[in-house]
Amino acid sequence: MSEASFSGLEPLNIVGNATARVDAVERVTGEAKYSRDIKLPGMLYGQVLRSPHPHARVRSIDIAEASRLPGVRAIITSENAQIVWGAGSISGGRQYNDPTKEITLHRRYIFNNPVRFVGDSVAAVAAVDRHTAEAALALIKVDYEELPFVLEPEAALADGAPAIWPEGNLCPDFRNNFEPMVSDIGDVEAGFAEADQVFEERYETGFIHNAQMEPRSALAHWQADKLTLYTPSQGISNCRHDTARDLGLEDHQVRIVCNYMGGGFGNKNQNQDADLVAATLARVAAAPVMLEYSRRDDWLGVHGRWPTVQYYKIGAMNDGTVTAMQMRGYSGMGPYRKNSGGISGMDVYGCPNRLRTIYPVYTNRTTSGNFRAPSEPHGFWGIESMMDEVAYKLGVDPVEFALKNMRRPTDDRPFTNYSLDEVITTGAEQFDWASRRRATPGSDAGPLKRGSGFSFMMFRAGVGTSSAIVRVDSRQNYTLFVGVTDIGPGAKTTMGMIAAEELGVPLSQLEVVSGDTDRCPYSVGESGSRTTIQTGYAVVQAAKELKQQIAAQGMPSGSEVLIASATPVPNTDGKTRQCFGAHFVEVEVDTRIGTTRILKYTTVHESGRIINPTTARDQIRGATIQGIGQALHEDLLYDPASGQPLTTGYYRARHLTHLDIPDIEVTFIEVDDGYGPFGAKTAGEAGIILAPAAMGNAIANAIGKRMTSLPISRDKILEALA
Amino acid sequence: MGDTKKPDKDSGNPPPRPLNPKQQSRRDFLEGAGTTAVVATAVPVLGISAANAQQANAASGPTTSIRLTVNGVSHSVDVEDRWTLVELLRDQLDLTGTKIGCDRGECGACTVLMNGTPVYSCSQLAVWVDGAEITTVEGLAQNGQLSTVQQAFVDNNGPQCGFCTPGQLMTATALLNNTRSPNSDEVRSALVGNLCRCSNYNAIVEAVVSAGEKQGGAA
Repeated sequence: MSEASFSGLEPLNIVGNATARVDAVERVTGEAKYSRDIKLPGMLYGQVLRSPHPHARVRSIDIAEASRLPGVRAIITSENAQIVWGAGSISGGRQYNDPTKEITLHRRYIFNNPVRFVGDSVAAVAAVDRHTAEAALALIKVDYEELPFVLEPEAALADGAPAIWPEGNLCPDFRNNFEPMVSDIGDVEAGFAEADQVFEERYETGFIHNAQMEPRSALAHWQADKLTLYTPSQGISNCRHDTARDLGLEDHQVRIVCNYMGGGFGNKNQNQDADLVAATLARVAAAPVMLEYSRRDDWLGVHGRWPTVQYYKIGAMNDGTVTAMQMRGYSGMGPYRKNSGGISGMDVYGCPNRLRTIYPVYTNRTTSGNFRAPSEPHGFWGIESMMDEVAYKLGVDPVEFALKNMRRPTDDRPFTNYSLDEVITTGAEQFDWASRRRATPGSDAGPLKRGSGFSFMMFRAGVGTSSAIVRVDSRQNYTLFVGVTDIGPGAKTTMGMIAAEELGVPLSQLEVVSGDTDRCPYSVGESGSRTTIQTGYAVVQAAKELKQQIAAQGMPSGSEVLIASATPVPNTDGKTRQCFGAHFVEVEVDTRIGTTRILKYTTVHESGRIINPTTARDQIRGATIQGIGQALHEDLLYDPASGQPLTTGYYRARHLTHLDIPDIEVTFIEVDDGYGPFGAKTAGEAGIILAPAAMGNAIANAIGKRMTSLPISRDKILEALA
Repeated sequence: MGDTKKPDKDSGNPPPRPLNPKQQSRRDFLEGAGTTAVVATAVPVLGISAANAQQANAASGPTTSIRLTVNGVSHSVDVEDRWTLVELLRDQLDLTGTKIGCDRGECGACTVLMNGTPVYSCSQLAVWVDGAEITTVEGLAQNGQLSTVQQAFVDNNGPQCGFCTPGQLMTATALLNNTRSPNSDEVRSALVGNLCRCSNYNAIVEAVVSAGEKQGGAA
């Protein structure tokens, strides 16, 4: 069994000590109430009707027969419920920006006409039970006029491609200009002119569904003018604000409750169309409505990592010095711009001449959205595959190549601390890189070929604002109020540990209240790996404030309580703050049948000080395994002739399960850079960034062929070897 | 709202309207989504007649009477023939610990024990379990005492989001009833039908192996 190892810092009293989740018992006894487990008196069940066509105009919707079905209480359609889902499409993909939402050109409604992907919502029904709602959906008659469709981002930009929006298929930026996203540093042409050799390759990556185990649901309950939504949310404060805005309410008229949720990995930021549909059905039916998505609804109606095409051009000297890096990328956003479409990775190199141009493109596939490190795993796979290939072609060890070319702090761009050398060299040593790597890729004799790959990264760990409230009563019971939801990483426990540490009390003396906008202050939301850094820092500040009150006034007596709140706005004194990581993996490819088996997987991360070693370890292990799934299996395939999605579920998308899983070795190098709560940094997204790149490089090292398309499935390996 | 504005030229949706709540009152929203829309569009949004509403409780399909034992408690229930076992457990018996992840036999979140054997409760019709003995996650702890494998999940961080946890626990319980102290390969083989998208597989296997070591002895 693999236990994580930790080096660099001694544990504090509570922080840094392996701690069981404060709600672990509820999670193992079935007591934990997820949104779909809540029942309200008179509650109805809701279902959504979805488009069977990739692109079609709705001529008419006939609900007469459906509304006669006994037990049906409400039917809403694109003809009578025109509600903009503000977070469903945003110019430039700027998801947390109200002014941009105001001016957004291409609005997404809860029901759309035309429908623009298979799964676009057309209507919704509320009925006395689930089966009646399902039966009613089948009785709704929709007359569609089918329209031409386009699935691939490059094809969508070609002349004569079907226009998904009137202006064409390039997504507008946040000012509604139809321009690609460009990052231009130095002089890339001068860099190519200077190079001894220039290398070019095209890479492509698939759509990866977040595939969280809990399908989307939302229970809406109106009490006079107030809407309560029991909904899985990775950001109850954002969800409340978005929902209020979309429904024309004030924030205080909406309450979001989410005490447990079955994962999210990025696709439950902000509000969701399910929230708006449930709220509307509940208002119309004058009863609480539990809207339930099926697994297929979730696969198509919710969102996942955007598919990309990436063209790289790299100039290098024969000694391994990179002189120019260029990438032209295309991200398939589906027909709505929910998120950025970013393709990251080039920024971890120090090369002074870099040009990156990304075209976010509308397609008639399902909408893309955020999945754990939204812009990174596919981008790091592309650039680190490219650089690995360049290293081998130049005859340089990829680890040496990275150490030579990676970005380092400079006088004008200082870091709060920098651990990239240490994570790479520590990992190389632990993994025994020197002996596991095949100096000549594909050199193993026989059908079973082994090889090893490596990848490295840095990733944002910036600080920012959030809020916390701490209270103590006369019996010295402490209560922490934080607007976090525990989507899996263990935020309730982490927040409690941070508070208990700062207050100097045992964790058992402190209750954590979370997941309810009427009880908790603003929190930044469980996205961008920000909860520990931002809300955790607010917890420290609130606890400090409470200690000052106690010092000044003494402990409360009788029915008195002392309450402290904090909404700090920290900064990093102009310094760049990053977390760091390196992954090393050895694989064995059976060249007869194309399967890939993992023999050893070593991860080394510097994520600042680790608050809870147990949950931090499993963030890295779980994220790494998700990244392995992206590398080997997962993709939402479409039939090009019909535009129908083919792999809408766990079985078809071949998600990894127990027998596929190696032991993931985790090492944390701990550092306290003086920022964040006790020096904590990003952990949740860090692991997934590196796995596809490390896997791709290991497979190339084993078989001697560079795989340029994710997932690296059996058929692609066999084709490359044929 | 939609009923008062012409659809724009390029889509059946109306032109973008202000998102700012100050420019769109709650009244607009309610009217748009509510009864006003019925009048304006002649589409019966609320179009459920009083007679129809009265029939609401008659919506159910054919039913069958079954008897079953769940967590040691016997039940006699009239079940609709279209209900699955997991619907019976969650909707009728209020045992919501068992989760629905896919509702089609792919993920294992709904695993329960039927006469001691793990089954996907989404893939069993309720009428099929007549006479069966069912154990759900709520039945694992005895007298407030967690079972060995539940305690191991607490100690080894078995749950992340926790949604697959009940299913993992039920399969692990069946394994530990048959194999007192399984090794990690045996655990992986037994639990292969239980997906964990948090991908907390390492910790789950560690938890089950440690539970086996704790209970020890031969089957």
